[in-house]
Amino acid sequence: MKILRFVAKRLFMSIFVLVGLSILIFLISRVLPGDPVRMALGPRAPEWAVQNMREQMHLDKPLYVQYYYWLSGALHGDLGQSLFTRRPVMDDIKEFLPATMELALFAGLIMAIFGILLGAIAGRYSNTWIDNSVRIFSYVGVVTPSFVFAILFLLLFGYLLRWFPTAGRLSPGIMRPPAITGMVTLDSLITGNWAALGDALWHMVLPAVSLALGGMAQEARITRSTISDNLRKDYIGAARGFGIPERLVMLKYLLKPSLIPTVSILGLDFASLLANAFLVELIFNWPGFSRYGINAMLRKDLNAVSAVVMVLGVVFVTVNILVDLVVAWLDPRIRLGAERGK
Amino acid sequence: MRKVLVCVLLALAVTSVGLLALGDGERVLRVTFAWPTYIDPAVGSDFSSSSSLVNLYDTLVYPDVDGSPLPHVATHWETSDDGLVWTFYLRDDVKFHDGTPLTAEDVKFSMDRITTIGEGYGFLFVGRVTETEVVDDHTVRFHLSEPFGPFLTTLYRLYILNKDLVEANIKRPGPYGDMGDYGKEFLLTHDAGSGPYMVKEFRVEEELVMVKNPNYWLPLDPETPDEVRFIGTTEPATIRTMMARRELEISDQWQPEEALQALDNIEGVDIAAFSPGTEFYLMINTKKPPTDDIHFRRAMAWAMDYQTVVEHIFPGANQARGPVPQNLPGADPTVFQFHRDLNRAREELQKSKYHDQLDQYEVEFHWIAEVPAEEKVALLFMANMAEIGINVKVVKVPWMSVVEEMAQLETSPHIVSVFDSSHYPEAGSLLESRYHSSSAPTWEQNEWLLDPDLDAMIEDALATVDREERFQKYAEIQQYIVDLCPTIFLFEQVEKHAYQSAYVDWPTARGEVNPVMGYNMAARFIKVYPEKKQELLGG
Repeated sequence: MKILRFVAKRLFMSIFVLVGLSILIFLISRVLPGDPVRMALGPRAPEWAVQNMREQMHLDKPLYVQYYYWLSGALHGDLGQSLFTRRPVMDDIKEFLPATMELALFAGLIMAIFGILLGAIAGRYSNTWIDNSVRIFSYVGVVTPSFVFAILFLLLFGYLLRWFPTAGRLSPGIMRPPAITGMVTLDSLITGNWAALGDALWHMVLPAVSLALGGMAQEARITRSTISDNLRKDYIGAARGFGIPERLVMLKYLLKPSLIPTVSILGLDFASLLANAFLVELIFNWPGFSRYGINAMLRKDLNAVSAVVMVLGVVFVTVNILVDLVVAWLDPRIRLGAERGK
Repeated sequence: MRKVLVCVLLALAVTSVGLLALGDGERVLRVTFAWPTYIDPAVGSDFSSSSSLVNLYDTLVYPDVDGSPLPHVATHWETSDDGLVWTFYLRDDVKFHDGTPLTAEDVKFSMDRITTIGEGYGFLFVGRVTETEVVDDHTVRFHLSEPFGPFLTTLYRLYILNKDLVEANIKRPGPYGDMGDYGKEFLLTHDAGSGPYMVKEFRVEEELVMVKNPNYWLPLDPETPDEVRFIGTTEPATIRTMMARRELEISDQWQPEEALQALDNIEGVDIAAFSPGTEFYLMINTKKPPTDDIHFRRAMAWAMDYQTVVEHIFPGANQARGPVPQNLPGADPTVFQFHRDLNRAREELQKSKYHDQLDQYEVEFHWIAEVPAEEKVALLFMANMAEIGINVKVVKVPWMSVVEEMAQLETSPHIVSVFDSSHYPEAGSLLESRYHSSSAPTWEQNEWLLDPDLDAMIEDALATVDREERFQKYAEIQQYIVDLCPTIFLFEQVEKHAYQSAYVDWPTARGEVNPVMGYNMAARFIKVYPEKKQELLGG
């Protein structure tokens, strides 16, 4: 019950955040220089064709009227027409968002599992060669942008060694599964298309790892730091003194509380994967939402820009709520503190 | 631990199934392009769209490599004496991809559609074609508002649609009244053509996949590709990897020089270089002091270092000769060409009314931010002009801002550097779009010539139906323009594509260059030899 109240409260506050975001991005996209309709139709299109499209998009009306049309459309699930794909923005989102979500989910899993694992090992064996290796990896991972990893992996594993495919989501000749979720791996699993599943996973390796490395390095650093701090705490000594097996001490008494800061950062890292995936998607020709968003901004595709920012806003808000819930589960002090407060 | 190992092995087994992908023995042509691509004939007009349309649709006439029109869907045609009525006689054996025959009704529908929507190549016909008449099933007649000699060449862009198929897929209501959306949503991802290739799949922003039309009305060489894929990426590292793995046959033209050199070093890959009919101009404002003085302009033209541009900044390019690229039908090969001569530059400057006030005037040169190489040209220009005492200020401007500032004389700078090409493959197209008064407030003309005599010459040439006579008039116009010196005609762009010369026979790479944009990607003329590719892969 208390959880539901917490979630409801956060959702309610999020509405204000999203409305404010929508107004901000709406205004910014429309005050930038350049005529988006003329850009879309080309410099040689007759003026009446340009004017027709301006009227269709309500661009001939005052800003507040344009916002009204946009908002009322958005509330009915109509985010307008993209100037560049020439189809409803909702159709674009349905096609491109799952591609990035799929990539982000895999990258997020890699980030979480290996980041925490490396951090835990480094923390457990702090000040040894294991710890030093993980720390070097962490520094390199944090300072190196994901697109650098992407190009390096492309050239090493795609060009020189030829172990992995380098473009797209599926190889030619592999039958694409019907779009149930839009995520090729999940759709393949649902429909039992094992060839597509295997091929899709193979295509995912390089872009997902490129995207995950930066966050993985960060998670490893934070986890390592928290674990090595908690290792020195009295309750760990007491647990060991009671003869509790080391494995249990690590997993139950040490890891769970040490994950609290990691999980908080993990949530933000995951949400930012969606926005930062642009260059990785470009390099691997991954038809994702991030690439679509950047192209929309470069082309001044007004409706697409607003939609992309709103979707990212919703994702960030949702992820933050989920992170708070997970942290509360991990740390009983937060749950109990909230209850006592009542 | 055992469970983890089992899961890992299972994952590996599943992923390895995916490695049983398309064999390398298939006859497939893959080309990369800058996206987006529109396969609707009334919407697409950029390079990737034009290349797609050429494969999916047929036209009444087809451009030969010298740009002259050849019969295609139309077997022959007639023009009325006043040049206002054009009658075309169609073949009776052309069928659309769904098996229905192509008739005059489909031609009329296609013209009505493109002029109503007004996008893409519609500008070639809007205001020009007043009526399209169906005389009978295989005869169609176009009525023009005024005589227009190059009308035939504009028909390279009238792609003929299957009227019944489009009408069956019209979405209503829509912005075109009774015609709803005119089939725009359907044609985003489907074709309604009769061309040598058909759409198999089109993933917007990713890839267009076309397959050979087995019932094409012209014979198709068995060595032409069975499948054609246009891929939307220009990322150099990706292109290089795909080329080396033989997963790409022809690259896009946007690869930087360093990337092209690396591609050239791959075994079996060569660089095809040809002039696509695009010229790079330094457009000089003829109404703003000091560039309003013809002697001042000529001095700049004499002082410019053309060789450095074509040898170092844009290597492989050819110095331009006049306002029209030489491979465009109607270009005059005898028109005067400036070269660097500082003495003549100084002599010309002495004749200028500003010769003793050079320190009071600064020439502002605007270059397009999205084309970094233009900065080198701007800086070279500045250095060259400094040698004869002309002060130049170089300004980097984003394209959108350039378009806005060129819309008015007051905000147009002294010089803007721009690439431009013809709308249809004739010199008249560029002469009109670059120098007629009607184009003065567009990005295609910074010169603001506003010359009524020149306007009259251009209009007269375009109204001339006879090709030879029309080309003679073009030659006179080109000389007239060069005499006015409103532009520094810098170079003709060379388009470079990396391609798999070991197993792809691309006529364009052999020098058979079609001057009409997109037609060099007509897959029915490109041959792919999978057995030679296998040898490369095996080696």
